[in-house]
Amino acid sequence: MASTLHTAGSKIWQTLASIKTGVVLLILTVIVAAAGTVILQRPNTEADEMQAAYSPQILRLLDATRLTDVYHAWWFVLLLFLVSCSIIAASIERFPNAWRFYSRPYKRPDESFRKALRVQALVPVRDEDEGLAAAERTLKASGLKPETLIGFEHASLFAEKNRMAEMAVFIVHTSLLLIFLGGIVDALFAWHSSIDLTQGQQSAQLQLKSGAVKTLPFAIRCDAAGRENYPDGSPKKWWSKLAVVENGRDVLTKEITVNDPLVYQGVRFYQSSFGSNGKVEKLTLNAHPNQGADLTKPVAMGQGETVAIDADTTVQFAQFIPDYVVSDGQVYTRSAQAENPAAHLIVTSLKTGKRVNVWIPPIEGFDQTSESPYRFDVQDLKMGYFTGLQVSHEPGQWAVWGGVLLMGVGLGFVFYLSHVRFWVMPVRDARGHTQLWVGGMANRNRDAFEQRFGDVVEKIKLELEAGAADVEQEVSALAGD
Amino acid sequence: MARARAEALHVAPSSTPIVMIGLAVAAMLLMAFLNVAKSGNLLNETNLLYASLIFYSGAGALYLGFGVTGAESYVKFASLATWAGLLANTGAVAHRWYEAGHPPFASIYEMLLSFVWTLAVLTLIAEKRFGVKVIGTVTMPVAIVGVVLMQLLRTEVHPLVPALQSTWLHVHVTLAMLAYAACALSFALAMMFLIKDKVETQTFLAATSLCTAGIYLAVLTRFEKGGGLNVVGWNAEQKSEMFMTKGMRLYVTIPDLGWLMLLVLAAVTVPLALYALARWKKNEAFLAVANRAVFLSLLLQVLATAFFVLRAKDGQYGSLDAEGLFATSLAASPFILSGLVGGVFLSLMYLLLLWRRTDLERLLPDSDALDRITYKTIAIAFPLLTLMIAAGAYWANRTWGSYWSWDPKETWAAITWLVYAGYLHMRITRGWRGRRAAYFAILGFAVVMFTFFGVTYLLPGLHAYA
Repeated sequence: MASTLHTAGSKIWQTLASIKTGVVLLILTVIVAAAGTVILQRPNTEADEMQAAYSPQILRLLDATRLTDVYHAWWFVLLLFLVSCSIIAASIERFPNAWRFYSRPYKRPDESFRKALRVQALVPVRDEDEGLAAAERTLKASGLKPETLIGFEHASLFAEKNRMAEMAVFIVHTSLLLIFLGGIVDALFAWHSSIDLTQGQQSAQLQLKSGAVKTLPFAIRCDAAGRENYPDGSPKKWWSKLAVVENGRDVLTKEITVNDPLVYQGVRFYQSSFGSNGKVEKLTLNAHPNQGADLTKPVAMGQGETVAIDADTTVQFAQFIPDYVVSDGQVYTRSAQAENPAAHLIVTSLKTGKRVNVWIPPIEGFDQTSESPYRFDVQDLKMGYFTGLQVSHEPGQWAVWGGVLLMGVGLGFVFYLSHVRFWVMPVRDARGHTQLWVGGMANRNRDAFEQRFGDVVEKIKLELEAGAADVEQEVSALAGD
Repeated sequence: MARARAEALHVAPSSTPIVMIGLAVAAMLLMAFLNVAKSGNLLNETNLLYASLIFYSGAGALYLGFGVTGAESYVKFASLATWAGLLANTGAVAHRWYEAGHPPFASIYEMLLSFVWTLAVLTLIAEKRFGVKVIGTVTMPVAIVGVVLMQLLRTEVHPLVPALQSTWLHVHVTLAMLAYAACALSFALAMMFLIKDKVETQTFLAATSLCTAGIYLAVLTRFEKGGGLNVVGWNAEQKSEMFMTKGMRLYVTIPDLGWLMLLVLAAVTVPLALYALARWKKNEAFLAVANRAVFLSLLLQVLATAFFVLRAKDGQYGSLDAEGLFATSLAASPFILSGLVGGVFLSLMYLLLLWRRTDLERLLPDSDALDRITYKTIAIAFPLLTLMIAAGAYWANRTWGSYWSWDPKETWAAITWLVYAGYLHMRITRGWRGRRAAYFAILGFAVVMFTFFGVTYLLPGLHAYA
């Protein structure tokens, strides 16, 4: 029983670790992900748009199979989980061999290895030590650090570079898993929200995209907001001055712009939009008396405020219509944008209690300016604005960025570092002459390596000749004595 | 007939065409200079772009001459012309950059500018460093098409909306352009490998017909009842596409153009059908007819492209969504235009292959080398793709508050990445070489093209800018 379980387990393991499974899973992921770009997705589409695009039966079917929200469906998460498992299993399966290779480099080539190696050469030498010394000098000159291995019969040389390249694949796969981990953490714990703040408004409550309400341990306040335009009127910059309020104190203030968020306790506040809230912050008027001396009086007020013009008369800013249109004897607004604004003022006499409606501009049938003691003209209209903020908390993103950096390094190693190895060993040929066996191996870019190998062998030969010439000189010098 | 013409070209002494092309380039430059001298402004973007068009055209003609005759002397002058074109192109890029105050990646026009530049650089690298001399035969026509498209799409410097003012965006788009150019190169190399590897000409016939049919099918997703073709409206004052509401483009219907596109679709499917018939009946005679049908479909495609350009260039058309007449412009339909021009180009390449295959094969490096260089270009493209996605995610995180939102463009970028990852795994761990690897590389590029064009054209999403 235990053994069948064991074999079943190892079978599953083998299946999971095989490259075939990996490829099948990847193909499935690709198909499903592509399907999600073709079928309208609920998170990005309005409900009525969905209903317009699909018939009720099909929509019900799509909803039931979660095809309308592929990327958050349980089976998609399961698929990604299986991909992760496959990567982990494949890596674990291959790791011990690679690690052995990495941690205990093969330094002394035995005979069968020497026979099988593809890139090798034989250099005739007069004596072992001289040959090894020449090879060592050559390898050093080409930027390697040869290591001399004292053997039973004779010494040999081993030199290598970029052994790290052998582990590069694992670095890449680890980085991918790290990115997945970040994604899973965020799938579980991340939240997104958006909030509109008007100037001076403060809030700690957030309406999440999921519909729940989240209360932050601190509040965010908008101190100022604005936009800058290009000469042609298109927006150039939106900015907001935000303050983080904790226990009644401002702990952090920052001016955010579209690509520069404010971060506090892992919660990020992004500038996402900016617009008029349809309310007036300040209306500045000049009041001219309809009778008597032309004495202009400046008046400034916010919406709903009442201001005294003289001892008897007050004016109230009763109503503001941002985009007015008259129909059926009523004044309506078409939008919240101050496209076609109208202001409704009520001028009241304290003595008589007479109330007169004044409209700016004078809308026929509503405006009674002729009965009012004052005429008004507008000096300035300052609209109230809201700043639209995106709020998000993504605790997994650090794993993602870490993974991305690691992947950059790993891919650099995979594609551009080549593990290069050289072996040099004195051998005897069939007739008993000493020869230097030189072997080399590279794990990528083999053509370039073969060229390099050829150069190294040539240089060893040159070194040997130079050494021989030196010896001859010495001999002749001795003889000359 | 065609063969006879090509034969005649082959016989002609190789220096005469070079001199003629040189003279043509010089004459055009002189005329352009005289024109410009009148206006007094020599080194502006239009002129630089025009100069690079002239040089690239010269280079394209010379490379094509090399492709057809195989005379080495063409290449020297061709790369000289490419260098000159690249110089002018660099000037145009620099001018645009200086004028706009940001790197030129904000609009389709600016991206084409950068793409053509990258393509020219890569062509010279492939030629000088890897000795793939014939590569210019493929890449230079693409560059010419790019520059011509730019002339049509020319837009004023557009101020950047707030979301696009980010260094990370520039990093993202630069990497994308580099990666896509490397993918394009790997595709061209894989194709050359298949040619060298004796893949039958009829297979290329099937592939090109399939691609052109795909293009016209995609265009016909805009077919309107009654035979019209829907294109996006263009607001000439704001120099932008027309929108009904936020994110909803206003489509205008060009009457009768839909029928023409349908006709061309039928014409490009004919070779495909004939090919299928030839395979089924095992009768080679159908193939000869199919090749003629390709030629015919090429003529029809040119006609359709010309009609599209003429009718979409300007003019007022009705819309199904709103009352009244609305203007449109070529700038509003860059993808349809690229598709149509791409179809013409594909058919042309096939006919070139059909007529001059033996010469092409003689000129290509051996298939092992092509296989290796294909892999090397993908080894360049893949890290670039990775970094491109990462930079995009980082930018999205700073702008929209989320590094990954499964937007179609994002998803397709990830799919592209996965396909190339598949290629690398198959090659490294499974030892896939030769044809299988080449097909995989071609598949990868097809996905790249879909990500670049198809997603923007066919699928909705956040990447409204590109």
